[in-house]
Amino acid sequence: MTTCLRVDEADALHARARAFVKAFEQSAAEPESFDALALDLARFQASRSLGYARLCASRDVDLRHATRVSQAPAVPTDAFKVTRVATFPASDERVVFRTSGTTVGARGSHAMRTTTTYDAGALAFGRWALVSDLKTRPAVLVLGPSPREAPDSSLTHMIDLFARDLGAPATSKETYFIEDGTLDLVALDERVSRLVLQEVPVLLLTTSFALVHLLDALGGMTFKLPKTSRVMQTGGFKGKSREVDSAELEAAVIEALGLEATHVVSEYGMTELSSQFYEATLHGGTRGVHKEPPWARVIAVNPETLDPVPDGEIGIARIVDLLNVESAFAVQTADRVRRVDGGFELLGRAAGAAPRGCSIGIDELLGGS
Amino acid sequence: MTDRVSRVRGVVEAARAIAHDSALFEALLPSTGLSREGVRLALDEHLELEPSDEELARLIASTTPCVHVHVILSANVFVGALRAIAIARASSERVTVRPSSREPHFASALVQAIGHPDVQLSGLAPSEGEIHVYGHDETITDVVARAASGVVVRGHGAGLGVALIDVEADLQACARSLARDVVPFDQRGCLSPRVAFVTGAERSRAFSDALHAELEEAEVRVPRGRQDDREAEELERYASTVAYAGSLSRGRANAVGRSTTVIVPPPGRNVHVVEVAGELGALLDPITRWVVAVGASDLSWARSIAPVHARVSKLGAMQRPPLDGPVDLRR
Repeated sequence: MTTCLRVDEADALHARARAFVKAFEQSAAEPESFDALALDLARFQASRSLGYARLCASRDVDLRHATRVSQAPAVPTDAFKVTRVATFPASDERVVFRTSGTTVGARGSHAMRTTTTYDAGALAFGRWALVSDLKTRPAVLVLGPSPREAPDSSLTHMIDLFARDLGAPATSKETYFIEDGTLDLVALDERVSRLVLQEVPVLLLTTSFALVHLLDALGGMTFKLPKTSRVMQTGGFKGKSREVDSAELEAAVIEALGLEATHVVSEYGMTELSSQFYEATLHGGTRGVHKEPPWARVIAVNPETLDPVPDGEIGIARIVDLLNVESAFAVQTADRVRRVDGGFELLGRAAGAAPRGCSIGIDELLGGS
Repeated sequence: MTDRVSRVRGVVEAARAIAHDSALFEALLPSTGLSREGVRLALDEHLELEPSDEELARLIASTTPCVHVHVILSANVFVGALRAIAIARASSERVTVRPSSREPHFASALVQAIGHPDVQLSGLAPSEGEIHVYGHDETITDVVARAASGVVVRGHGAGLGVALIDVEADLQACARSLARDVVPFDQRGCLSPRVAFVTGAERSRAFSDALHAELEEAEVRVPRGRQDDREAEELERYASTVAYAGSLSRGRANAVGRSTTVIVPPPGRNVHVVEVAGELGALLDPITRWVVAVGASDLSWARSIAPVHARVSKLGAMQRPPLDGPVDLRR
């Protein structure tokens, strides 16, 4: 098959995936069945990725005869750490997003030939989850590194996208308030003060540990954001700050920043995916319950058999992401989840096997859970 | 010096006395999770009951005399209690031992068999002397944080073994020997090999096949013991990753994966064969700090590559280190 044909086929699949995004933005019916596109992605990836073909073969799965998306195996997140998960040659890479490092030094990487589909999905669902109730564009403030500081972070890429497309026009200095890992509280204070006077709502995009740093820097003082402001927080702590229980952190943020209780929104995403998940608290959703966009599904599966578990039971997350067109349409994570009304609950990473001797555990090698 | 040697010999004598105790054997079955054959193998072949004078001299030289040693056996293979208590006795007349809560029987029986008033079971950490803790990093850190001022803590952490197969080695013989290193303790020891490095695509494939066959055969003689749910989950995760990144052979109780990158499989009876195309040292680098033991087909070649802290031995002898000091030589 020539390069042109391969790219044409991939582009056609990208277009079908983006049609889901467009339909969502227009509140229209889904353009086709989720499973139909998922299976076509699985077949495409098996035909272009030796690794995925081998994974299917190891499970005796013949995708030509598959009728349900659950029959197609998911690629474990660990695979992104040890090999290239992509259907196109490295020479066609436009961007490579990388996970944070682990103690064995292996960083997961997710290569993309194009970010058009990723960007479309991130913007559409981010807009819905974070700002769809606002009549004017908010000022986007970021407690995290700028794209210049973290060019290979998918989170930074997404946040930069939000700053440019969801927020009111602003310079980088007016947007990013962490540099070289240090929070510039003075600059943040000045910026927020001006926005309060202008009555411009803020969309504060932050990692959980940066939020802890902000609270610590405030030292118990309040730091009221303009009315109708909101916070999107994501990620864990990974030794970068003291660990704080998520409910405790949310309560402290609401108090310190003078926010409405529904205006702190948790985001769940990972480098290996192209889609993100949000608490739908701005839409009447329950805190602690993350909602999927129509182009992604989170399925709780039994960690040993990888079969789906009934709703309400805990399993590890198998994530089917129709926007992962040229990598892995289904990703098997070690994150524990439970399906509930309105979405899924995140219950932390599955604990590794308890040590029964002095052999090093997988969790220890990978830097813990 | 003579006292210290005789104290260590006393520990070895005590171990010899309990090695065939049938009540202890039965108690070890549930607590170790090993099969009957696995427990028997450990007691018959991996309990160091015949140390030479030279080995004992080295063991004693590796210790520092002190007034009291408290041994914490948090995570170790069960026969490791012999070495741990021997080292403690080489250091001090007075030794207290806190056995592993998961497998308390062997250490308790050994202390009882030593039958010396200065060697006791105790959960209490000392206010002077040394604490020798055998466990995972988290445990060691915790013990260091809680130790009384002036008490020296010597931590022996978790690790793994690797095998280095040189370009001229007889692959079949190496596979047979490596299987002998994999089977004991169901790979739960820090000397247990979990990654093997083989140069060349063809040779690594042939070695993987041979090792898989040897582990299948070993399963008949010494069945793998109980695997808990979490271990099974980790094995599935490894299997999926390797199926994507390379190739995998699954047996009744083993998995042998192969790829060009280092992937550490979970303990059980699982080995990842790394196909070496370039410099071996670069492939070893990410896991060097955890490598406690290196098994090799060519010792002088292996010594030039192995981490300086690793015990280097012939394949097939990785799980039989002489009683000459701690197995873990990392500092």
